[in-house]
Amino acid sequence: MRVSMSWLTELVDVGVPARELAERLDMTGTAVEAVHETGESLDGVVVGHILTRERHPEADKLWVTTVDVGDGTLRTIVCGAQNFDAGDKVPVALPGAVLPGGLEIKKAKLRGVVSEGMNCSARELGIGEDHEGLMILPPDAPVGVPFAEWYGAGDTVLELEITPNRPDCLSMAGVAREVGAVLGVPAKVPASQPVESGEEAAAACSVTITDADLCPRYAARIIRGVKVAPSPAWLADKVAAAGARPINNVVDVTNYVMFELGQPLHAFDLDKLAADSNGRVAITVRTARSGETLRTLDGVDRQLRSDTLLICDSSGPVALAGVMGGESTEVSETTVDVLLESACFDPASISRTSRSLGLVSEASMRFERTVDRTGCVAALDRAAALIAEVAGGQVAPGVVDEYPAPLQPRLLTLRLARVRGVLGIDLGAEEVAGILRSLGCDVEMGPESLQVTVPSFRPDIEREIDLIEEVLRIWGMERVEPTLPGGRGRIGMLTREQSLRERIGDVMRACGLNETMTYAFGDPRDPERCCMPFAEGELPVELLNPMSTEQAVLRRSLLPGLLASVSYNQRRGVSDVHLYEMGSVFWTSEGRKQPKERTMLAGVLAGAWHPPAWNAPAVPLDFFDGKGVIENLFRELAIPKLRVRACDAGHLQPGRAAEVLAGGEVLGWLGEVHPAVLERFEAHAPVVAFELDVRALVRLAADARPFVEPPRHPAVELDLAIVVDESVTAEEVERAIRSAGGKLLAETHLFDVYRGNGVEMGKKSLAFALEYRVPDRTLTAQEVESAHERLVRKVTTSVGGTLRS
Amino acid sequence: MGVTEELLAAQAEGLAAIEQAADLAALAAVRVAYLGKKGTLTAVLRGLGGLSAEERPAVGKVANEVRAALEAALAKRHEALSSAALEARLASEAVDVTLPGRAHPIGSRHLISRITAQVVEIFLGLGYRVAEGPEVELDYYNFTALNTPPDHPARSLADTFYVRDLSGDEAAVSGESDVLLRTQTSPVQVRTMEREKPPIYVLSPGRVYRRDIADPSHLPQFTQIEGLVVDEGITFADLKGTLDHFVHRMFGPDRKTRFRPHFFPFTEPSAEVDVSCGICDGAGCRFCKNSGWLEILGCGMVDPNVFGHVGIDSERYTGFAFGMGVERIAALKYNVPDLRMLVEGDMRFLRQF
Repeated sequence: MRVSMSWLTELVDVGVPARELAERLDMTGTAVEAVHETGESLDGVVVGHILTRERHPEADKLWVTTVDVGDGTLRTIVCGAQNFDAGDKVPVALPGAVLPGGLEIKKAKLRGVVSEGMNCSARELGIGEDHEGLMILPPDAPVGVPFAEWYGAGDTVLELEITPNRPDCLSMAGVAREVGAVLGVPAKVPASQPVESGEEAAAACSVTITDADLCPRYAARIIRGVKVAPSPAWLADKVAAAGARPINNVVDVTNYVMFELGQPLHAFDLDKLAADSNGRVAITVRTARSGETLRTLDGVDRQLRSDTLLICDSSGPVALAGVMGGESTEVSETTVDVLLESACFDPASISRTSRSLGLVSEASMRFERTVDRTGCVAALDRAAALIAEVAGGQVAPGVVDEYPAPLQPRLLTLRLARVRGVLGIDLGAEEVAGILRSLGCDVEMGPESLQVTVPSFRPDIEREIDLIEEVLRIWGMERVEPTLPGGRGRIGMLTREQSLRERIGDVMRACGLNETMTYAFGDPRDPERCCMPFAEGELPVELLNPMSTEQAVLRRSLLPGLLASVSYNQRRGVSDVHLYEMGSVFWTSEGRKQPKERTMLAGVLAGAWHPPAWNAPAVPLDFFDGKGVIENLFRELAIPKLRVRACDAGHLQPGRAAEVLAGGEVLGWLGEVHPAVLERFEAHAPVVAFELDVRALVRLAADARPFVEPPRHPAVELDLAIVVDESVTAEEVERAIRSAGGKLLAETHLFDVYRGNGVEMGKKSLAFALEYRVPDRTLTAQEVESAHERLVRKVTTSVGGTLRS
Repeated sequence: MGVTEELLAAQAEGLAAIEQAADLAALAAVRVAYLGKKGTLTAVLRGLGGLSAEERPAVGKVANEVRAALEAALAKRHEALSSAALEARLASEAVDVTLPGRAHPIGSRHLISRITAQVVEIFLGLGYRVAEGPEVELDYYNFTALNTPPDHPARSLADTFYVRDLSGDEAAVSGESDVLLRTQTSPVQVRTMEREKPPIYVLSPGRVYRRDIADPSHLPQFTQIEGLVVDEGITFADLKGTLDHFVHRMFGPDRKTRFRPHFFPFTEPSAEVDVSCGICDGAGCRFCKNSGWLEILGCGMVDPNVFGHVGIDSERYTGFAFGMGVERIAALKYNVPDLRMLVEGDMRFLRQF
């Protein structure tokens, strides 16, 4: 909402500078988005007279004009606007002028023609939104006079953000009332009573409302014999100051009164409405019938939906109720008699129509937020009187006022104790009553509470709490002394799952992985691209209105997003990539409403842990770096039985693919991503990745590992190198060693895997360091020797290996 | 020359040899030469047998003194030479301490989760718990129970992501579905109030979704932290005190807050909270668009209608709620110029924090 300070001061005695008012409004709930100064920076802009207009020889869309700016020399100015003719008067910015947007005007060549200034639009001068063409000034504008002087500029415009609960502030009178309440001064409500003459309005028109819920009130007046012409300067200025384009005196009055009082009005050319044999127009307010269309003021043919509310005459639709008038009945230069509408429509209905047609107007915006139906006739009277004033004509006696759903005044009780209880401040009854009265309420004092009658223009005040809000707003949030809740004992703490998730993140980072965050959206092709098909019965979660086809579903795995990040880094020359993410994945199934969500932990590793260093070579990352991360994680979460088992998985390279298990339960997978998958993501192999179910990790995590006393007696260390078939896994051999070692074997540790010289093809040598020890004494050499011999025998037999010589 | 003289001469010679020994090996050779089995002193002492019983004690005493003197000199020289040898070795082992160390790189925490954790910690200290809920929500929890009117633009397909509902239910709202990606974490608050009785002190951080095209200042997916307090005697003053405390912990004790009345469907009275600009300290600069203030929070007293939806007696209990965007705080605290950096996974960005 644009509020001109000069207009505002006509309605309320502001008495403080605009900046200070802006601050006060900000602090009482009316956000001021911007404060524009107009006129102030218009030095060098003068009223000019366009004498000639010719096509630019080099450019179809440009005009070369000759302009008289009153200094005795004619200037050539090149201009791109299309809305003017030779003879028009326009604002001209001369070289040296700096326009409000910061544009400095210079003498410049435009396509070969020297332009000695600029013909300006209202927006370029910061005094309106209109940018469709030059600001055409009235013919009597004095050539050569500084524009600001003639325009009476030097105004300040506040751009207010009006929240949806305050439709009353979508008018100058409403803003003035709010400003009055904020500053504690009275505000005026502009009103006029037209002088009536001629035949009764009721003789010229009737109104029928088919649904009072959709149209609670429709009032009309007839004005005969108007002379449509450009508005006088005061009216055009006001309309422009509010941000609209002046059109003609009749339309400008309707806009003016809308900006002034918040009541949208519409003027029909009475002669273009279908009349019966008595010359009487029958206005009907109804919803559209199937197949009906209407060409609106903007020249667009509109297909009407069955819920579109229409204003009709006996021949059919003539306006979209509350949104936009029809072209065929609009007021034009030839209009003589006018039917002026001041009505009220259902906000939801207007909102639907406006949205379905993609048509937002000043009127629809106000109706969507509720217009005060009690004010229809006052606005109608004011507009009729003003039309008669600026366009001549006679206002027909009487108002045709269909008002099937009168608004009942709302009476609320405000308990003073409740004010204290909600706000934590002590206010006296008088103070509270004073604030509410300044906002237009009628207040009756009681000992403990106030009886408050809410004004009709405040549909948002429905309950006691709404009154409390008003009191706080005007009294001042800033004045409330901060306290902290007392309350009974309470303990702030994370749940077990939440703190374990923190710990999982800690471990990932300690292992060298960097946390990232990718989109929860996924590409529907991801399962196929990753060779990670949905399980039987699982379905992707589909978005009905995605931003793009690449983000049309919710992800089922964190892997695609992480692979995209690997690729992002690699394409930018960052080859060492260590990322992890903890986030939700989603899937659904037939018959489900809300999909399933699960928090997963995933990581990707590519390149090396670090670039080559002076004292450490860069070691390429592989499967075992990923496994190491998982080993650390399980250790830190005290999950005892980690197992990693080879598996087949389409997204992983065969032979470097594994399932991660604990206690027989599969928690996720680990492996090197299949090169074919990487290619689809434009990532370079190898990329090690894993993905684990966080809830399962949390469930299996123990609070602590059991205490084991550190050994007091020395161990005997022996090595064992055993040659086995390639198909025998390290896990099998180690298990055989543990079972053969019995109680004397305290530790085993694989320290070498060897293939090559001295080891037959198809076989490998696994070398283990064994520690023999019992907790209560030192073992004798003999005990160890015989135990080791037994172990070697058993292990070689059970895994089919031989001792490496 | 008498034995005594021989002894004294050997002593003088020996001391000189010790003094001249250049290293530990040379010193060991000197020891052997004088005190060894075939050493000079040993040879002289061997000659003691030829002396008379009267001479022997006196010569023996001299011999002992000579031995002691040599031993002492040897020990002293040994210490000097060993410490010199140690110094020499250590000197040869000196390194350039400015060479980089050998560290396994430690990973960094994402800016958003780092800030979230900071906020959580502040409110844990005030006795809050952390509540979580699904990211795919029902219209009821995301809008209706939060007092959002049926025709509110936020519910439109242009603003909110809707998800295909496979339950076969007739959708009651917004055309095709009443299942959506939550646009705020407030549904968690509704679910908490349904599940628990006051006193309630919860914080709900989480991901939320809105149909915004990704650009430097918008992401279709971002992170919100909301707080909710429901208890007896909770006032607007308590809300102010709580958020003042938060701002001071989060941004520094010198920062000021400002509460501006605003409108939200689920709170009344509602306010937007600004923190004084940290760059210009409130004087006005480009960063704060000359206002001296940066908007960081929305808040208000829980609307009685919201209590009505979850069956909490709004006469007995009052409460407040607040919400903030973590990405916005990140942008303000770290001056991140483009929010899209947060979801790209660029190692060079992530490793900065």
